[in-house]
Amino acid sequence: MPGAPGFRPVTNVADRTASVLGDPEYRVEGRDKVTGAARYAADVAMPGMLHVAFVASPYAHARIVAIDVSDARALPGVRAVITGEDTKPARLGRRLQDWPVLCWDRVLFIGDRVAAIAADSAAIAEDAARRVRVEYEELPAVLDADAARGPQAPVLHPDASSYRYFGGDRPSIPHPNLQAYAVHRHGDVDAGFRAAHRVYSHTFTVPRTHQAYIEPRAALVWLDGEVLHVVTTNKAPFALRQQMAASLGIAEANIVVDAGHIGGDFGGKGLSLDEFALAYLARASGRPVRSVTRYADDMQATNTRHAATIALTTAVDADGRILAHTSRVVFDGGAYAAGKPVATLLPGDAMLTLAGYRVPAASVEAMSVYTNQVPAGHSRAPGQPQNAFAAESHIDLVARSLGIDPLVMRERNVVRPGDIDITGAPWHGTDGAEVLARLRTAAHYAEARTTPHSLGAPAIGSGVALGVRHVGRGRASMVLRLSRGRVELRTGVADQGGGAYTLFQRIVATELGIPLGRVTVTRGATDAVPNDPGVGGSRVTPVQGGAALDAARKLRVRLAELGRALADAGDLEVIGEASQETHDASMYAYALRVLVDVETGSTKVEHATLVADVGTVINPVALRGQLEGGFVFGLGQALMEELRLEDGRVTNPSFADYKIPTIADVPPLQVELITGDPGPGPFGAKSVGELANPAVGAAVANAVQDAVGVRVWSLPITAEKIWAELTRPDEVREVAGSAED
Amino acid sequence: MTTHRVAFTLNGAARAIDVPADRLLIDALRDELGATGTKLGCGIGVCGACSVLVDGELLSACLLPAIFVDGHAVTTVEGLAADGELTATQDAFIRDGGFQCGICTPGQLVAATALLVEHPRPSPDEIRTWMMGNLCRCTGYYGIERAIGRAAGMT
Repeated sequence: MPGAPGFRPVTNVADRTASVLGDPEYRVEGRDKVTGAARYAADVAMPGMLHVAFVASPYAHARIVAIDVSDARALPGVRAVITGEDTKPARLGRRLQDWPVLCWDRVLFIGDRVAAIAADSAAIAEDAARRVRVEYEELPAVLDADAARGPQAPVLHPDASSYRYFGGDRPSIPHPNLQAYAVHRHGDVDAGFRAAHRVYSHTFTVPRTHQAYIEPRAALVWLDGEVLHVVTTNKAPFALRQQMAASLGIAEANIVVDAGHIGGDFGGKGLSLDEFALAYLARASGRPVRSVTRYADDMQATNTRHAATIALTTAVDADGRILAHTSRVVFDGGAYAAGKPVATLLPGDAMLTLAGYRVPAASVEAMSVYTNQVPAGHSRAPGQPQNAFAAESHIDLVARSLGIDPLVMRERNVVRPGDIDITGAPWHGTDGAEVLARLRTAAHYAEARTTPHSLGAPAIGSGVALGVRHVGRGRASMVLRLSRGRVELRTGVADQGGGAYTLFQRIVATELGIPLGRVTVTRGATDAVPNDPGVGGSRVTPVQGGAALDAARKLRVRLAELGRALADAGDLEVIGEASQETHDASMYAYALRVLVDVETGSTKVEHATLVADVGTVINPVALRGQLEGGFVFGLGQALMEELRLEDGRVTNPSFADYKIPTIADVPPLQVELITGDPGPGPFGAKSVGELANPAVGAAVANAVQDAVGVRVWSLPITAEKIWAELTRPDEVREVAGSAED
Repeated sequence: MTTHRVAFTLNGAARAIDVPADRLLIDALRDELGATGTKLGCGIGVCGACSVLVDGELLSACLLPAIFVDGHAVTTVEGLAADGELTATQDAFIRDGGFQCGICTPGQLVAATALLVEHPRPSPDEIRTWMMGNLCRCTGYYGIERAIGRAAGMT
């Protein structure tokens, strides 16, 4: 639907925008959330409801020889026991359905499920799960993405050609253990390298991390006649309906998916697991069945951020200008690709290995590899935390080698509208020069660079990094009803906390020129509202917000046609639609100051400045919260977060061992907004939910090098790694991790 | 397992339930009393989502056997607003971005309420020390700190 009303340049709204968007923001679901009234999936119970436990593989790779469920079935209070024999060949997944609902022949990672039990209580279900006897024949495990691509590697998915792939043909892969493979090439790469003053190559690694939402996954499933009802923590209910219909062989019309408030998502909750097995248990028991995932299981067996190895090579001229770039990114996809929703089956922005810069010529290769590790999926700005850490570390290393100030290096190369960037297309977004100019001023860059160190005190360093993020794409629709002078917007958007309903309320009120209090926003299950693409891909503000704006405009047009005012128009209903296919992008940049204890390597971020291009601000409180929260999300992944695996087993599967930032860990953060460059969203808005987190890791690494002269090549940037570099003999340190020329 | 009668005050109202000795307070609240405002997060007493007050003391309901509250007064998020009137802390959490998804918010609010009883005008260090046991993945904590400052009348 090109040229949908939501994305035309906005005219004649300036006065209304000023009147309503200037009003204080008050979350429409705020009262429910501060009184405990807000309902999340695990809060929903039904009479006669059963509780679920799963039996999971203790092996990273094994053949199932036999399963004996007789003891489990005999336990009083057990109502249904199912195994892979009952569910085969059903597989689940967002784009590629490669993950068995329950395994029947082989298990591919520790935590892969082989049986499920529904019982009168969770304790009984767990007791029964322990009584299921599974005989396995252990198989050689492939725990490394390089080994998985070798000639000797066992093929983990020999039946891959039979897997369901939504939306056309699955992209071809050059090795059977690849989930996905893609190359991109533009410009004359060879000429760029021939003309180079210097060529730099560096390799970086980024570990698995968990999204670390506080709410573990939960689901409640029951059958009402032919209709399967699903209450879920999934943030894309219509997509889940499609996946379940295909996997279970049920018509979409006979599945109702209801996602209420979701207790944190960060990309992870686009993938559902339990809902599929629960459908079988509901049928087998004739009762409602509910599962609430134990947090340790959520960390061991759902879909993490991909671990990745990123190798970058860049040719520059004597002034540090980028001439050509080649890269290779290997993502460890784990046992299943089911968590990835995009058509390439790569994590979202896998190919952006030098984002935000003019890149006249590039050759980029990215792949996601099957291993016997925890499956990987989407995590806030998928692909970008990995690539931004690598690229922004790489650019800093090049600058330092050439004797160019890191910020000057970026100023010389940053994209401006019309420049060819890493995608090979003209940059259609923020003027990068403006972002960096604001950063230079706001962060008092010159002063920070010359702050003297005092003897015996921690070393001080400053680091910069920039990042880009597309403004979301997709299509959405919602219903706007007018009744007795009040308008109600009905939407299928789930609430994962970004402030969508308040956004819609403010958009509709602004467009109609009415007080906020006359607009209500109601969420509906999949049987009650038009199809919605779900929360994700930085989509809600431009796309769903665009549908809300379109609905309000249609209502305004109808009122004008009727010659009626809102208050006396009677009952009206319109459907708002929006489609956003352009490739707009935003940019942001950080300047951080760190203190490094040279005796221990212990590092503290003392202050951070974030400059972000956000376009028009609709929800000022939520926008600030998303940027601040994005920074701290990135800070955790920069300094402390790593899902540690030994032989396929997560060894830190709890918040006691997997550390995320607490309130005591966050430094002062100065946020500077650029609002003058309109984006494609309502009134010129852009999206910010995935804007701010990816570049934090490199900003810290760059500041650490500035402080103590050593480079950390992997996330997280721990005291141990810095100390190891500090105490390494100089001649060894010179060659570690890096090869120049 | 033996069953025990637990009589206690929940948000000002007398309640009595019969629970096995190993029933955790969080399950008793959520499953037996329908008080689902208190949230389950990590389940091991680290994240603070299940924070409740027992006689004014801040505790994790996911670790506390329900029988231990026999004869005591339990306050959960549902008990903060009196007669439907939000407390200054609840209102400030809405105005200052003290939450996004809201799953940690019941625990944050219970902890912040206890903080403001102990330190009516808390210093930044007192806020950080007190609130360290309540994880939030959405806000980066800045909004929570602003909200507590506003609730304490400091902004």
